Amino acid sequence: MALGKRLLGCNLLLSLALVLGISPTLAETPSGQPIRIGQTLSLTGPFAQTGLAHQIASQIFVERLNRNGGLLGRPVEYVVLDDQSKPDVSRTLYERLITADHVDLIQGPYGTAAILAAMSVAQRYHKVFIENTLGQPQLATYEWHFSATIGGPDSTATLPVKVLDAYASTGHPPKNVLIVSSKFPSAEDMAHGMERAAKARGIEVLGYLEYDVGNRDFSGLAARVKDANPDFVFVACLGVEGDQLLESEKRIDYSPKRHFYLYPSGLMAGDPLADRAVSYSGFEDVAPYTSTAEGGAFAKEFDARAEKAGLPYPHVDSQAGNEYAGWQILAAAVKATNSLDDKTIAEWLDKNSVETIEGKRDFSGRSHTASADTQQLKQAQGGKWVVIWPLDMRTPGAQLIAP
Amino acid sequence: MDLTRDRIRVIAGLIVVAALMLIIPATSIAAYYIAFLYLIFFWISMATSWTILSGFAGYWSFGHAAFFGTGVYTAATLATKFNWPFLWTIPASGLLAAALGTGIGWLVFRLQRLRGELFALITISVTFVVAAIISNTDIDGGSGVYLISVSMPELFGSQPGTIYTLGLFLCALTMIITYSVYRSRMGLGLFAIHDDEDVAEVKGVPTFRYKLGAIALASGLAGAVGSVYSINVSYVTVGETFEITTIMYPVVMSIFGGSRHWLGPALGATIVTVALYGFPAGPEAALARGGVALGLILVVLLLPEGVMPSLRRLWGRFAPQSLVPIRALPEPLVPSPRAEEAALAARHATVLECKGVVKTFGGVQALKGVTLDVRQGEILGLVGPNGSGKSTLINVITGHFRLDRGSITFAGTPIGELPAHRVARLGIARSYQIPRPFNRLTVLDNVALAASFGDGHGEDDARRMAAHWLGYTGLARKAFDYPPALNLHERKFLELARGLAARPRVLLLDEVLSGLNNSEVDEALNLIRDIRDRGTTIIFVEHLMRAVNQLSDRVAVLDGGALIALGEPKDVMNNSEVVEVYLGKAHAT
Amino acid sequence: MAHVSLSLLEQSLITGLLAGGLYGLLALGLSLSWGLLRLVNLGHFAIALLGAYLTWWMGTALDIAPWWAGLMIIAAFFVYGIALHWVFMRFGVTEMQSMLITFAFAVIVESTLQFMWTADFRRYETAWGTQSWVVGSLYVPKLSLIAFVVAGALAAATWAWLRYTYVGRALRACAEDAPIATAFGINHRALSFLLSGLCAAYAGVAGVFIALIATLAPSQIWAWVGVVFAVVIIGRLGNPIGALMGGVLIGVCEALTMAMINPSWAPLVSFSVLIALLLFKPRWI
Repeated sequence: MALGKRLLGCNLLLSLALVLGISPTLAETPSGQPIRIGQTLSLTGPFAQTGLAHQIASQIFVERLNRNGGLLGRPVEYVVLDDQSKPDVSRTLYERLITADHVDLIQGPYGTAAILAAMSVAQRYHKVFIENTLGQPQLATYEWHFSATIGGPDSTATLPVKVLDAYASTGHPPKNVLIVSSKFPSAEDMAHGMERAAKARGIEVLGYLEYDVGNRDFSGLAARVKDANPDFVFVACLGVEGDQLLESEKRIDYSPKRHFYLYPSGLMAGDPLADRAVSYSGFEDVAPYTSTAEGGAFAKEFDARAEKAGLPYPHVDSQAGNEYAGWQILAAAVKATNSLDDKTIAEWLDKNSVETIEGKRDFSGRSHTASADTQQLKQAQGGKWVVIWPLDMRTPGAQLIAP
Repeated sequence: MDLTRDRIRVIAGLIVVAALMLIIPATSIAAYYIAFLYLIFFWISMATSWTILSGFAGYWSFGHAAFFGTGVYTAATLATKFNWPFLWTIPASGLLAAALGTGIGWLVFRLQRLRGELFALITISVTFVVAAIISNTDIDGGSGVYLISVSMPELFGSQPGTIYTLGLFLCALTMIITYSVYRSRMGLGLFAIHDDEDVAEVKGVPTFRYKLGAIALASGLAGAVGSVYSINVSYVTVGETFEITTIMYPVVMSIFGGSRHWLGPALGATIVTVALYGFPAGPEAALARGGVALGLILVVLLLPEGVMPSLRRLWGRFAPQSLVPIRALPEPLVPSPRAEEAALAARHATVLECKGVVKTFGGVQALKGVTLDVRQGEILGLVGPNGSGKSTLINVITGHFRLDRGSITFAGTPIGELPAHRVARLGIARSYQIPRPFNRLTVLDNVALAASFGDGHGEDDARRMAAHWLGYTGLARKAFDYPPALNLHERKFLELARGLAARPRVLLLDEVLSGLNNSEVDEALNLIRDIRDRGTTIIFVEHLMRAVNQLSDRVAVLDGGALIALGEPKDVMNNSEVVEVYLGKAHAT
Repeated sequence: MAHVSLSLLEQSLITGLLAGGLYGLLALGLSLSWGLLRLVNLGHFAIALLGAYLTWWMGTALDIAPWWAGLMIIAAFFVYGIALHWVFMRFGVTEMQSMLITFAFAVIVESTLQFMWTADFRRYETAWGTQSWVVGSLYVPKLSLIAFVVAGALAAATWAWLRYTYVGRALRACAEDAPIATAFGINHRALSFLLSGLCAAYAGVAGVFIALIATLAPSQIWAWVGVVFAVVIIGRLGNPIGALMGGVLIGVCEALTMAMINPSWAPLVSFSVLIALLLFKPRWI
């Protein structure tokens, strides 16, 4: 097949270069037929805001890769298509990428629905499929699926436990919890997880309130939160919903004692109302993430581009971090196996681990998730996010502030 | 041209095209195009099924997503919670969605006020209610439903092949059903409902039943399409299923292509799908959506009937809105004479009897207990000052209004409680004082409709009979024109032709002579006499006294909702009470 | 149903009432154009959001206070309203066609908003954004109350204008029977332009408050459609006070639902109320 011939050609070139003693620096300029890696992202439609962050992260990675010799000595071409936040479009476009555009490799799209739709296409054409936003990765049944998220095989069980552990470590754990959840699927799953975890350690669940995804008015919810007056309010929200809830609470003169927001908006850290809000983290533009060379460089570059693109919160976060890590995983496998063959890549990933900006990770959990949940927790303090859990991964000088 | 053979030709043609398209997955074409074609089939099915009710009958629905979503979640629930084999979920989804549609129709269609934009509002409300129920109950609950582990039958040895085949099948089915409706009696009825529902009902179209049928078909097809969608995306959520695009695109595509033609929505769906998904796969998709929207605006402004009629006009073979592909009048079919009427006329038997008919509107009694008998074969003049209740009486007799008290018997059958279309079928027809033709049907189709629904003929025969009646009323050369192009005289005669085409036993003429000049009046009077001589009993409302005197066998005078005189013209006209009521209004002739 | 305290109910009533004010404000322009001009303007929501974005942008990028921004927006939208109506008149657009055209227009506006300001959510943070007046144990959010008062004032003023001035009565006459009104010397065309401009201006006012109270995103255009249509129908077409009353009814129903049962059932409320009203019709619809 043409692919095999190209691989052979590459290998020959590389060998020739070494034999001829050509200096390694020359090999840093990739040459030859570009390797095309394709994905779809929600660049328009309801998920457009996150899609753009993913796109920037992908672009940064590919450019960096090409500055450092590309893959197998060849430049990498990043092909991204807009799935308009629709899973059926995503599915169709992956068909196009694979069967009409003949890309060499693919990366997963954004969003659970799009991922599942695209994954069935990947399965059909035996393409290795690395995704980075599947809320319940253990539901992925495709053998060559790999998850770039660091939540482990069942984060809806492990993350709530982390949160409760963190609060318990202050010596004054919450005695009750009020759960507020958006009806968005991954939020819902996590909220149910918190409900189970709280009950398991005898914390009273004062209520489980859900709100519609398009909800405009949070004053009713705020009134109920205030009325219940919980020790801890767990808000499984998406984006600005958390901010809106906080504002509505402020209007009725209520401040939560302890609060957690699942997918906070970019504005939350800087919002004085959100002081001491806790969330999960995989990557931020603070230490310890920025302590690594690549992590630091990525954070800086992302922030600059996000600002230029006009994103209201031009700071890197887990969404971008996960996307970047996903690319790192793919690139690492290609380099290690010296191959663009999906089967080879999948088999290598199955048995090996990769160093990413989100830490070293393996794929030995169920459905090729990480074997353990290595997410961290962050807290908004003084207008910025700082990492406060686990204890050995804290931003230097920071610790969880709680009553 | 043999219209039946033409229908069979088109349906066969559709089946052949579908069969040919089945070959495509077996070729070595890239699977992407197969998937893209499925997308096109999907939207063609959605847009075309929408038009059965909304384009044909004019009941614009923004609830297609509710039916689609019902189908999606029926399939998802049956396949995952009850382990049904997937292929069986398709008809189940269709049936459940059809049940929902029929239920809505049953509640809503009987209420005359809920037409037009209010119907649109109710349908969009239903969509949000269905979405909220699915989202808040165990059907979805908020987490979405995963269908990854549902096993899919493998037609063509591959999954995309299966989806393609199912999509193609549903698309072909939708097109065939829609075409069949378009070219059937039901289609003619739906188009009449679109133009003037009340008149259609009085002409014999069973409007309630037809609308129910249309919504059942539209919703059932959308539901079936939903089930295939669910397994295609393999993970369904409420947010994605009930999106604003699912609600609006069928409407947009159908209008764009031409919602009054069976092919219009397919054309619109194809163009819009290609424009939306085919080109803008790059980052400029936001602008592309805006571009499509702009295109829609231009089409609506410049080609308000959609693209299809303009294409037909270009093709030039026949009138752009004509429901059947003919250009010349079909061979007229003369209706057979009614034997029994002559015999009855000889006996002066009573054909229509009103006893103590009362009709009240709000606080006003429009009819205060009218008792009146009409004899077979007579011409009964119905006169009275304005507001005396003449039009109300006609409306009550034809069944447009329900009578409040009393009874009306027609040839021995009580008709006071019957819906208007049943009364029409029994043999009562009327013309309207201000002509109310179906403005978007040809003159031929206007008359054919009356022949079909009033007299019970198949629509092809009905058109042949219409040709006869048009000849009789002198409108033959206007057969392929539309009513707005006719002058008043011609429109009045069109009213007459429609009334006659129903071959009624009793024909109610409501001021058919108003606005005509003297010679036109004489022509009309001769026509009316001829109609009576052929066996039809006539009740005619008139203000023109010379016509009343010349034509009537008997005259009935109404005043203030009560009958004040009934008898031969010369007796009635000399009745002192009648003279008083008509002070200053009698004509000398 | 959990135990619901009285204070929760009372607070919910207040917030529901005030939320109704914003609904009424947004519904005002739509109700008038639908009732008096016989045009269904889906673009109403789009330009309201556009007005909101402009308010936010002028406030954050150009440091212009919302009331000045509002005045400029009102003037600009008035002109836009006239222009829109000219297009409708020129092409003899029917009611259903207007629905389609304005829907397409709304999509264009949505795409433009996304192109200019991305699809991200935007908040217009102001000092009084989180402030409330305290009445006993109840909190009355300042901005919501102001919006309610403005809505009430506009509704009352419009109602009085329609009822007592020549122009207002002429408009109502045209809506009832345009040819007859024209026969009586009423300049139907000029009046309809005036009304169209006015409705667009009302959308602008609503937009200013949306910017101050709610969050902005291009997709938010569609979030208001359902509930505002319900409000318009309930309040009866062309009736300004009715629009406000309808808004309050829906707002209170939603707030009470959120207080007593799972809040995610709230969207069901306005639509169920609408369906029930349409089916079991009271005489005023």
